[in-house]
Amino acid sequence: MNRRARVVLASGSLLLMVLVVLHLGVGSVSLTPGEVLRAVLDQADQPLHRQIVWDLRLPRAMIAIVAGALLGLAGALLQAIMRNPLAEPGLTGVSAGGVFFAVLWLTRGGTMAEPGRTLALVALAGGLAASGLVVLMARGPSGNTDPVRLVLAGVLVSSILSSATALVLLRNNQALGSILTWMIGSLNGRVWVHWEALWPWAAFALPVGLLCAGVANALQLGDPIAAGIGVPVERARLALLAIAALLAASAVAAVGAVGFVGLIGPHLTRRLVGDDARCVFPGSAVLTAVLLVGADVAAQIITLNPPFATTPYRAGLPVGAVTALLGAPFFLYLLRRSGS
Amino acid sequence: MSDATLAAALAAERISAGYHRRTVLDDLSVGITRGTVTALVGPNGSGKSTLLKTLARLLQPHTGTVYLDGRAIARMPTATVARMLAVLPQGPTAPAGLTVAELVEQGRYPHAGPLRMLRRQDHIAISEALALTNTAQFADRPVDSLSGGERQRVWLALALAQATPILLLDEPTTFLDIGHQIEVLDLVRSLNRNHGKTIIMVLHDLNHAARYADRMIALRTGQIIADGPPVAVLTPTLVERVFGVRATVLIDPITGAPVCLPYGVVSQGEPAPC
Repeated sequence: MNRRARVVLASGSLLLMVLVVLHLGVGSVSLTPGEVLRAVLDQADQPLHRQIVWDLRLPRAMIAIVAGALLGLAGALLQAIMRNPLAEPGLTGVSAGGVFFAVLWLTRGGTMAEPGRTLALVALAGGLAASGLVVLMARGPSGNTDPVRLVLAGVLVSSILSSATALVLLRNNQALGSILTWMIGSLNGRVWVHWEALWPWAAFALPVGLLCAGVANALQLGDPIAAGIGVPVERARLALLAIAALLAASAVAAVGAVGFVGLIGPHLTRRLVGDDARCVFPGSAVLTAVLLVGADVAAQIITLNPPFATTPYRAGLPVGAVTALLGAPFFLYLLRRSGS
Repeated sequence: MSDATLAAALAAERISAGYHRRTVLDDLSVGITRGTVTALVGPNGSGKSTLLKTLARLLQPHTGTVYLDGRAIARMPTATVARMLAVLPQGPTAPAGLTVAELVEQGRYPHAGPLRMLRRQDHIAISEALALTNTAQFADRPVDSLSGGERQRVWLALALAQATPILLLDEPTTFLDIGHQIEVLDLVRSLNRNHGKTIIMVLHDLNHAARYADRMIALRTGQIIADGPPVAVLTPTLVERVFGVRATVLIDPITGAPVCLPYGVVSQGEPAPC
């Protein structure tokens, strides 16, 4: 790992910790950083503080960190294996598939609140099924999947599944409100039961994804070079794609289809550390977690002080709305800066 | 399998190969002797690059077999092949932010131990590859910031870092100015003479091929038209047959290699001499 990458990892982690303290403090009961730290260390000034932090805000913050890391690593993996800077978790069909399955399940009697575990599993299955479909569609006449066809198939499958989701929703519009936040991606109401559904997948997928950096480095040199240095290109690409799909699907299952962070996090990272996957992968995980936690802090602040509405957003502003609203201009800024 | 195939460093036996349904090579056999420099020449579309890719197992032949050290290459683990044979394809591209050192390090991929940490022999091979190609001074610069010639040398360094006895190069001098062309070809020759590497390269320039190769193989429409030492292959008759070009062939007084001076194109209507 190069020096820049170590600096980025260290300062990113520090920033993440600061943001988490802010995140734990923000809400209808506002806590100072000191109160947050005392509550986390089980020395709260009031029992209420301990309850707020431990029962409500800590699981939400932890889910934000892990979901951000999952999306960032998935995006970094996809950008490397597709050799395309626009690749992002949504391109594997994972987001659209997860949302479609979740919506189907919810409109057929499943509930949003409990048990979070079942809904997460349904979304996970949907995400993985959709990415499997993408790979099948991307197979050419000779049976191999070149990156361009993968991107195209991803876009196609995603748009078909999104339309299917819309159709289901139009026929069951009483469920629209609760499902909409799922489609945008939200951390509202995430508690320990959701964390328990998330962490086993993350504990498996994150280390495995990080270990793929060596192969990803080879693949991003293009198929002929990768094959020449002894990578079984076709098998390696499918394996990495499967891992990226698992990473993204675990995140989507927990927080819904949060857009943009999986694209911007890896971009930002590569700008800072270069293109060596061994630096980009851990960097993307940390920086994307920073972005998602930061966006959720912003979402909660906006929820409490709505800028344009006289009545506050009752359900809470979904974090996905913030990542899209702030993410797109930020991305444009990055593009413009790279042009000069 | 013939004895010649068994003895060759790399051999193709009756291979047909191409892309999708189009066959470029048709029932072609060739054996490459250990420790020699072989140049593949021929007009565009003659199948020279296809032959190189098939020999390097980057392309699966439709029929026939490629043998590496007498073993069928398709049945060997690809990492094992990568420790015996390195290939530099045409026009590779690297991600914009990758540094030269990070790129060349990828050549150690097939040698990597558990955890993919670089060991002492890896560092030695990398610095040797950088030194041989005269690219050590760029080590920390992004590949993107280099000139075409520098970049080509860096890709060559990646292949050298693989530390293989066999090296396959697809037009290693394209996009280089004449000085860098000679530099790369001199390096190739010294890798052969001083390090005993077996080298097979596709070259466009007939005079370079004649000067730097021990053996020239001329292809046209997927078949070998001539095969032998440069003095036997680079003749006016053959240049006309293979390239459709009339040429004078002289002997370079300094190197003793044949030199071809083209002066005209054979017109369409004329029957090709045989």
